[in-house]
Amino acid sequence: MKMSQNVLEVEHLKTYFPILGGLFQRTIGHVRAVDDISLTIQKGETLGLVGESGCGKSTLGRSIIRLVEPSSGKVLLNGTNLLTTNGQELRNKRKDVQMIFQDPYESLNSRHTIGSILAEPFVIHNLLSPKERDDAVVELLRRVGLPENARLKYPHEFSGGQRQRIGIARAIALRPNLVICDEPISALDVSIQAQIMNLLIDIQNEMGMAYLFIAHDLAAVRHISDRIAVMYLGVIVEEGPSESISSNPQHPYTQALLSAVPVADPQFKKRERIVLKGDVPSPSNPPSGCRFHTRCPYVQDRCRVESPELKSRNEKIANSKVACHFPLK
Amino acid sequence: MFSLDPITKKKFARFRSIRRGWWSLICFTLLLILSFGAELLISNRALFVKYEGKFYFPTYGSIYPGKTFGLDYDYETNYRDLKKVFLDQSSNNFVLLPIVPWSAYESDLKDGQYPPFAPSIDQRHFLGTDTTGRDILARLVYGFRTAISFSMLLLIATYSIGVSVGCAMGYFGGKFDIILQRIIEIWSNVPFLYVIMIVSSIIVPRFGILVAIMVFFDWIGMTWYMRTSTYKEKAREYTSAAKALGASHFRIIFNHILPNVLSVLVTFIPFSVTGGIVSLTSLDYLGFGLPPPTPSWGELLAQGTANLQALWIVTSVTVAMIVVLTMVTFIGEAIREAFDPKQYSTFES
Repeated sequence: MKMSQNVLEVEHLKTYFPILGGLFQRTIGHVRAVDDISLTIQKGETLGLVGESGCGKSTLGRSIIRLVEPSSGKVLLNGTNLLTTNGQELRNKRKDVQMIFQDPYESLNSRHTIGSILAEPFVIHNLLSPKERDDAVVELLRRVGLPENARLKYPHEFSGGQRQRIGIARAIALRPNLVICDEPISALDVSIQAQIMNLLIDIQNEMGMAYLFIAHDLAAVRHISDRIAVMYLGVIVEEGPSESISSNPQHPYTQALLSAVPVADPQFKKRERIVLKGDVPSPSNPPSGCRFHTRCPYVQDRCRVESPELKSRNEKIANSKVACHFPLK
Repeated sequence: MFSLDPITKKKFARFRSIRRGWWSLICFTLLLILSFGAELLISNRALFVKYEGKFYFPTYGSIYPGKTFGLDYDYETNYRDLKKVFLDQSSNNFVLLPIVPWSAYESDLKDGQYPPFAPSIDQRHFLGTDTTGRDILARLVYGFRTAISFSMLLLIATYSIGVSVGCAMGYFGGKFDIILQRIIEIWSNVPFLYVIMIVSSIIVPRFGILVAIMVFFDWIGMTWYMRTSTYKEKAREYTSAAKALGASHFRIIFNHILPNVLSVLVTFIPFSVTGGIVSLTSLDYLGFGLPPPTPSWGELLAQGTANLQALWIVTSVTVAMIVVLTMVTFIGEAIREAFDPKQYSTFES
């Protein structure tokens, strides 16, 4: 019964990129972009994934949808392991999981009309007759709030926000169970960001798909997500309901991220900013023990040696997990 | 789909605004049409004959033996003589000859004189004759037809192979790419001229064989450009989007990547055309090209340089070459200008 509740189950997913070097371009190391990550997303749920640039959150998204080949692990989509399916079977499976890309200027082929871009999902999966495809395209355009005549135009005739709407329309065309939103708003104007967020929420309410919402902006993620996972250097350091993550962070990294979120209230008294020291360590040679220990303000000896497990450490906060030996109270 | 694309439209508009290239294209197209309809202007067959109330159109189709028109022979009618005969008869019969009533293959020999004959409007040898008495204008025009057909055929064949292989290398990458690259590097070191010489010493290199040999060496050039641009396009997100939708490799290559790398290709086409013409001409000049008596510029050039006292031969062929190659170069230059990525960045338009 539990199986049917989860749209996506990721188990021990690792994506390593080889570093080539030497005379014969041998592999001399690996960039551990995604290092043993497990997560689940339930039907109709939104999981927010936050973390700073280069922490591997996009790679995680792309590994799930297999735009990047993961090194090991399992990605179960409705119970089928995507990593062991190939060829035609994989192409068929792809209609259940779609992606919204970060840069709407890059993700639409500038030589195709909007009509042919939006009809492509149906063409690829051989669905509907040509007439029905036209109707479906018009319906999709209406759904994302674009005029019907947009289908005869080309991507360059639209603004960034409009293009992102087209990207969303393409992603929802096949009514997938899961949509991976790879920083869908970070390339847009602030004024447009809210519109796109609301569009995503509306579509979810209407069609009931689950989202994996990747962003580096905790404020935006908090708004849309049911649960939030915080990533640091290829691993998830904290995961829990968005309420508890934002009001009651247990991991020092989450706390630091939260302190960087601006508050839109002029009366708000200045709070303590936690500024992390140093840079993100290299993912090809991550620190021993807890990966965050090089920058953690509360670091202790145990952190340098022993890697903390991601598990529930505070009974008072339901469904939350944290990877820290000394979680914040 | 490709022709409707607004970027292409813009590029075309820009191409038209470069007048030198645009007019060259018009003239070149006219030349092409003229050369492919050359039988109507330059031919030893009459355009039409009226004989005893019946009309004949001998330009295309089978030959009419002399007896058809009341002459005393069974081989093909000599229409220039027929015209004289009809004039002498002063009957209703009538022959209309093309402007240049000579074919590219026949020798106009006169008693007591040795060819080459100088240009003469009376004789209808507007550019004179070559050393065997064949009309130079006819040989130039039919030679142009041969050269341009050769060049076009070569272009289509080399580009199809080069684009497919280059795209496959760029798209699939990895070991496939590396191994193929090395093979191509070895391949490109096979000495072209020697192969041509060896082949033409064993068999007579007819048109098809010559094209095949050239394709064998020429397809390589295109692969490098296609490989790199495919690599570039493959890394872009619209390709990922297509892949995420479940598109097949075939669909991604032909529907998404190819239309985007085609602009690279288009820029090279005119230069490949000139390249083809020059190759054929130089092979013919060296005597390794098409067998005589095929009309060819290279062969004319060889005659001309060997007979500098008959300056009209070398002048005609040189001027013709300069004009054609300059026009194609102008077209190429304008296309390159119109497709300049500085004008049309892929990120904005």
